[in-house]
Amino acid sequence: MGSTGHNQSAPGFSQAYDPFADLRGNHDSIDEALDFEDTYDGLGDQLDETDDIFNDDTFGDMTATGGGAVGKDFDFFGATAKITNAMEEEHQRFSLQQQTSRTARPYVAQDYNSGYAYQPPPPASKPARTGYEKYKEEPTELEIDASIWGVAPKKAATPAAVVQPPPTGRKMMSLEEVEAAMRAEAKQTPPVSLTPQFQSQTQYHTGEFQIPVDQPNFYPRQEQLDPIRQPVDGRHQRGFQTSDYQQPIAQGITHGHPITILQRPSRHAPSTTGPAIPSPISQQQQTPPIAPTQILQNPSRVSAEGSRAGVPMHPAQKSQNATPRNIQPHQLSDLSEREKAAIVEAEVRRAKRNHKIHLMSGNNGLMTPQDKSFITRIQLQQLVSATGDPSEQGNEAALAEDFYYQVLSSLRAGQRPNPNQPLNNFAQTYLFQTGTRRGGTRHHGPQNHVQRMEQQVQRAVEAAKNKPKNKQLVIEGSLGKISFSNAKTPKPLLNIKRTDNGADTTRPGSSQRAQPTSKGHDKKDTLRDIENVYLTLMKMEDLSRSMPPPNGPTDQDIAEKQDEFNKLNEQLWNHLRVHEPISSTTVHPFISFMSYPKGKRAIPRVFRYLSHTQRTTILTMIVIHLDQLDVVRGAQVQTGGAHLPRCCYSRAVATFNIFFNILEPTLHNIFPGTVASGEDIYVWQFLAAIGIGASPDEQQRLVFAVKDRVMGTVGLAKTLPPDMAKGRLDNVNLFMRSIGLDVELLN
Amino acid sequence: MLFFSFFKTLIDHEVTVELKNDIQIRGTLKSVDQYLNIKLDDIHVVEEIKYPHLSSVKNVFIRGSVVRYVHLPAAAVDVPLLEDATRREAANQAGKGK
Repeated sequence: MGSTGHNQSAPGFSQAYDPFADLRGNHDSIDEALDFEDTYDGLGDQLDETDDIFNDDTFGDMTATGGGAVGKDFDFFGATAKITNAMEEEHQRFSLQQQTSRTARPYVAQDYNSGYAYQPPPPASKPARTGYEKYKEEPTELEIDASIWGVAPKKAATPAAVVQPPPTGRKMMSLEEVEAAMRAEAKQTPPVSLTPQFQSQTQYHTGEFQIPVDQPNFYPRQEQLDPIRQPVDGRHQRGFQTSDYQQPIAQGITHGHPITILQRPSRHAPSTTGPAIPSPISQQQQTPPIAPTQILQNPSRVSAEGSRAGVPMHPAQKSQNATPRNIQPHQLSDLSEREKAAIVEAEVRRAKRNHKIHLMSGNNGLMTPQDKSFITRIQLQQLVSATGDPSEQGNEAALAEDFYYQVLSSLRAGQRPNPNQPLNNFAQTYLFQTGTRRGGTRHHGPQNHVQRMEQQVQRAVEAAKNKPKNKQLVIEGSLGKISFSNAKTPKPLLNIKRTDNGADTTRPGSSQRAQPTSKGHDKKDTLRDIENVYLTLMKMEDLSRSMPPPNGPTDQDIAEKQDEFNKLNEQLWNHLRVHEPISSTTVHPFISFMSYPKGKRAIPRVFRYLSHTQRTTILTMIVIHLDQLDVVRGAQVQTGGAHLPRCCYSRAVATFNIFFNILEPTLHNIFPGTVASGEDIYVWQFLAAIGIGASPDEQQRLVFAVKDRVMGTVGLAKTLPPDMAKGRLDNVNLFMRSIGLDVELLN
Repeated sequence: MLFFSFFKTLIDHEVTVELKNDIQIRGTLKSVDQYLNIKLDDIHVVEEIKYPHLSSVKNVFIRGSVVRYVHLPAAAVDVPLLEDATRREAANQAGKGK
């Protein structure tokens, strides 16, 4: 492969393709075998291959086409071409059997395909990828072309095989050269004239000796057929009449040609210059007269007819057929146009691509990093507003929005005692998912950029937070408003303004209950109190979470928060209703409060935010109304052998032990008054209850604790009248018997 | 956002999603979004005989609007906290309504 640079005289791709260029001169070269070096213009060496990596994208994988794998584009006809080759070969073999003098035989279809006509000029031979590799397979395109012109693939094989021009020793002729060869040949041998008109005329005169045996049949049948043809396609009538009798010979195409006529009548219009009288030869050479109708009705049959018709052909005619029909001028120009079109198309595609790349590269560095981050910021801001990032409304709101998840995950994680702590970095955790990981690599360039981005995002979020929310857009001159919505704040379908702040009092139903004190508390009031307690509780919890550490520098902050805390505490206290006067007729509000499970559950939480005095007050309230508490009132004495589950029993025992241990030190003071004063039956009852549940050890401790009182009472009983003595001893016995003893034993 | 917030905590728990067409799909909750679209992994249909076409399905994305119920794993729900969250949500809504 010579790398001699571009041969200035050789046509390159960039030049307009001139199919007749070779006619202007250099005819002497026709008889010589063509050397690749002569035709190679070296243009390929100058190709810019820097973007060759895109070739696969643009043209499909060229390596695949060579290896037989089916590429993405075009390749289906490549596969077709293989079959066509086989058909050509087959037909070649067949015609060879029928004729003795065959010059074109040595050229099998493969030769034709691989190197012959219509191979585009040199760039196609360039080994490096040029993007034009496809055109190496140009012959396949040629085959397609043949079928387009109405020649059935099988028939196309015949002329194709015949295409070989006399100088058989050649190889690798360029299109121009082949064309020039044809022209030269045409000049030398009139029968092989180039133009259809000439050919048909000469044929008409010289080939007359060829009279087919069945000629007499032709005319009548032809005449019969004409009326049939007319209605079918009147437009083609003229073309038919003229070409039927002249064209086929001229073109060297035998049977398929009527189709061509049908399809492209205008093409053959010039041929009317020839004799209008059908020549026997032409008729013999073309399809039997029935063919046109058949073509009209059933094109596929033509090829069968054609192959049969080819049998009686005279060798002379065959040699005339040797005139390559594919190289006839009009077809040649057609083909080269197609070729040109394909090349131009490929060129255009490549140019487009290069142009695009160029345009893009032209914009390289157009945006400064600031611009880019500005764009990114806009995008992020939109993202923030579109997804309704909770941080947009501040951490408190964020906590409110995502409370359950935040608190529960912090509870589960266990490592974040303060749920508010991660929320401070809401933007980071949501937008970057970096968390603490970014800490170590902060000093690297890109990381620094990321950090700046984070700051920008934070600022953007801040701006979005501070910006007043414009929920409606009024376009100037328009009559309506466009309201926005996002997932968090859907577009309101109803916009009802509440006239009052008090959520409860504005409602008609609740206004009737606006005087709870007069009617006493009903169920709804109690439930509302409970909810208010909870709400206040949560506020206080939030406040305590956001409470700065005690030794922080912001004392003023602490003071403010403390104020707020006290206010909330007061609210809480009011909602608990502990302060309401105790009345004998109605259940105290606090006791009804305690009668709901969620009210009871609130108490432990409430206690955390109450002062010591408040706690004592609550306990006093509970003790005073002990008999009204549902847990006490509804408590059932276990009768007989109640079988508690083992776990419950052991828990009960453990609880009792705790209770007993707490109680034990006070047992000495449990009795009101002295032994003589009496009125101690309740105490004995209580002690009896304790004694029943006590373990032997505890019973012993119990006896030890109250031994003095027992002995004192027994001693006193001896000094009393029997009635009174019995009463006192019975009281003592309540206790004594509960632990399996009796006062009798003491005597 | 309460439900979204709540379902987020159930990620990686096994739930049963009952669809409005009565199909019940049990699987591991992998993802949920603000529309309560649900992604389930390792699913199986509760009545597999009835819905054999889902036998070979391993994971699903369920559009939130077609869900009728989500059966929750009771152990994974913190009831008092959920109550509080509900209160907060209600308070939020009331606050917005004003």
